[in-house]
Amino acid sequence: MDFYQNRALRAILLAIRIVLGAVFVYGGYVKLQAPWALFGMAIDSYHLVPLRYIEPLARTIPWFEVALGLLLIFGWLLRISATTVSLTLAIFFAAMLHAFLNHQEINCGCFGPGEPISKWTLLRDGSMLAGSLFLTWMALRSPRRMA
Amino acid sequence: MRTFAVVLAAAAALMAGSTDNINGNTYGEPHAPVLIEIFSDFQCPACKTLHDDTFQLIMRDYVVPGKVYIIYRYFPLPMHPFGHPCAEFACAASRIGRYQKVADALFAQQSNISISGKVEDVVNSVLTPTEAKKVKSLLHDPGVQREIQTDLDEGKLVPVTGTPTLWITHGGKSQVVSFPINYSLLKSYLDALLAKK
Repeated sequence: MDFYQNRALRAILLAIRIVLGAVFVYGGYVKLQAPWALFGMAIDSYHLVPLRYIEPLARTIPWFEVALGLLLIFGWLLRISATTVSLTLAIFFAAMLHAFLNHQEINCGCFGPGEPISKWTLLRDGSMLAGSLFLTWMALRSPRRMA
Repeated sequence: MRTFAVVLAAAAALMAGSTDNINGNTYGEPHAPVLIEIFSDFQCPACKTLHDDTFQLIMRDYVVPGKVYIIYRYFPLPMHPFGHPCAEFACAASRIGRYQKVADALFAQQSNISISGKVEDVVNSVLTPTEAKKVKSLLHDPGVQREIQTDLDEGKLVPVTGTPTLWITHGGKSQVVSFPINYSLLKSYLDALLAKK
């Protein structure tokens, strides 16, 4: 079966790209609206990153998210962008799962402050990761640009 | 004791400019550019850490220089059986100008209160017999209950998902900052807010 002849599959892949891209752009935009230290406090609350790396990460991650989101939405460099999004989401999800399993009562920091890590946030990010992995798999096995 | 010293220093520094500098559970100049509302529970260990450490630093670096105004909000969590009685005593004590003494004692004796539940004994240990009598009579004052309920309602609107939570307002915009808080990062955040015109 040629997956790329399948209209339904193409629509699903397009939807995943648009949704993931929009979520990344929104997540980055929200963080960029506040001083970097606000997101820095969210990163620091995970206790996974030494303090000296917090500022560079808090200053660059939001821009990185916006750039990745735009690449996904417009379908540019799809193999690279989808793979990078999957790796990024895998890191975010692992950090959240680690905090949840260690009963750290902290905020996710995904879309600004005020959202505690819960089963719901894990389900949401897990679903995004699953979608992203599917997109990556399809992009890597595709001989040409998808959707 | 350390809190009391910082508050005294704040009072001395601000006395010339304002008459409303330390009023119950508020600290600093009400017209300061940044407002921090701290939603706190006297039975929450992280709130004690905030009270003992970060709060002192904010007082020194921002409240005393008139850059930040702090309001301590009562937010007793249902999971802490003595959180609400502690809030009632602190709120009643604020009515006679003894909030700071009582709040310091409640945080200092937090673990003992968790075991014994003797909130009143802790409060009475830092008040004169006359003050203790006044505070006890104010416990059932509808105004005290209303103030705690108002703070709880405001916290739910934020929404406060855990304690302590800082609700930081500057230039009409507010942000939630939840514990754990690294002071150097909080300082960077407050400095960035204060640098904005």
